Amino acid sequence: MKSLDPRVNRLPVVGTAGNIIPKAALDQFGTFEVFVQPKEGKPFQHEGAVHAPDLEMAYVLAKETFTRRFTCTSLYVTDTRDVYISPTTEGSQNVYTLIEESATQNNTKSSFEIYHLLKRGKQHQHIGTVEASTPEEAMFIAKQQFSSDKMVYNVWAIRTNTIRFTTPEEKDLWNTLPEKKFRDASDYKGGDKLKSFLERQS
Amino acid sequence: MYGGGNTFEGIQTESLQEDPVKLAAFEARIDRGEKIEPVDWMPQLYRKQLIRMIEQHAHSEIIGALPEGTWITRAPGFKRKLALMAKVQDEVGHAQLLYSAAETLGKSREAMIDDLISGKSKYSNIFNYPAYTWADACFISWLVDAGAIVNQLANAKGSYGPYCRALERICAEESFHLKYGHHCVIYLATGTAQQRQMFQEAINRWWTPMMHFFGPADRISTHTQVLMKWKVKMSTNDDTRNQFLDMYIPKIWELGFTIPDEKLKKNQETGRWDYTEPDWEEFKRVINGDGPCNKERLEVRRIAEERGRWVRTALQSPKAAYIMPLA
Repeated sequence: MKSLDPRVNRLPVVGTAGNIIPKAALDQFGTFEVFVQPKEGKPFQHEGAVHAPDLEMAYVLAKETFTRRFTCTSLYVTDTRDVYISPTTEGSQNVYTLIEESATQNNTKSSFEIYHLLKRGKQHQHIGTVEASTPEEAMFIAKQQFSSDKMVYNVWAIRTNTIRFTTPEEKDLWNTLPEKKFRDASDYKGGDKLKSFLERQS
Repeated sequence: MYGGGNTFEGIQTESLQEDPVKLAAFEARIDRGEKIEPVDWMPQLYRKQLIRMIEQHAHSEIIGALPEGTWITRAPGFKRKLALMAKVQDEVGHAQLLYSAAETLGKSREAMIDDLISGKSKYSNIFNYPAYTWADACFISWLVDAGAIVNQLANAKGSYGPYCRALERICAEESFHLKYGHHCVIYLATGTAQQRQMFQEAINRWWTPMMHFFGPADRISTHTQVLMKWKVKMSTNDDTRNQFLDMYIPKIWELGFTIPDEKLKKNQETGRWDYTEPDWEEFKRVINGDGPCNKERLEVRRIAEERGRWVRTALQSPKAAYIMPLA
């Protein structure tokens, strides 16, 4: 096939054009949940998921997918399976009314990050950290510490030590953004050229 | 970059019996302006049509990057190369966001990618046409993107939470694409006679696919009405096309170019644009595989898949397992 695409003409062809060989069966990577801090001092919020073979690659892919442009000062990721989820409520029912004191407790405590869903259609937001021995206990402690008049519809708890955080040295990952003016709408001013063209026409 | 045309056909709905109580609660939620989230109950038709729509949108981002991507090395000047590279990266990134949103409805990413490569899934028909010259690349950057943005801004007000959130992010990143595209076209329009001719020829080549982009006129069926009530489809194909013409025909004319359609003019009585119906037989033929670039587009995608396999194999780790993302 004569193509306009140099990749098609220049490179050795693996199959025949139009005769598409089926690719290998499902070989899907696991998912990792991505949390982004949009501005310094703002809480982290859930942004979405990436597929990756491990936590470290998930971090790299999350950086590429969710932190383009001026929307991020820090980022972290965790395996989807490490997120503990409360039931979801609606209307005037606060989810904390469903969370009871957990029966299973022991003395080996670890820290959990707690996230609230405050409005349907919005993202989960980080609200604070608690010390607990189980995710259930973490949610109960969160109820005591973080429940207020504000309606909460869903709570997530994640063991802090399962999260891949951005280290202080990595913070400069996002420092290059201001240099890339060519990705900024304000860098494309054609108005003067257009105006003088239109004046010549009339 | 997605036009929304030809998305809502071919699913049998008669057999889909839904629980009337759950359906009423679902519709009441949409009427209240609330978003539907992955954990919520939803009708089968809603789920199927959304998967189909978001998946087609994601494929369109991937395939749409191909006709422009080939122009990166030949873009005039370093700055245009940088910008085009950033734009193409954006489009591919948008596909990633959209695949994630579609996955929350229960179709796995690999299944979607398989369906693209095997030709089972569709993508925006306009990308089955070739970009012969730099002016074609400029037409895509400005006008095809503009059409996609009209459609995406409408869809961002839809009812499915993960799709809306992905679209908000996409629209924010795309703000520079349109300005960049217009800038490129202004440079051609105010340049030499040859440059002007190049862009005029690009308009002549792309006008029919551009009119096809928004899809054929919707048959006013109960099906369409239900999808509009559920805020899956946000406006009719004709309305979206009309909105695009309203916004961009004056800008094309301002630059002194002509549109290859003698009937094209704004009807002062109806406030809408009159135009010659594009050849819908051609549209059907091309979307079903017989266009100038269909085979090549899928082949390039498949080559990328084959060539990238070693990376995935190298990264393979037995620890991670697939489960559906949360939101």
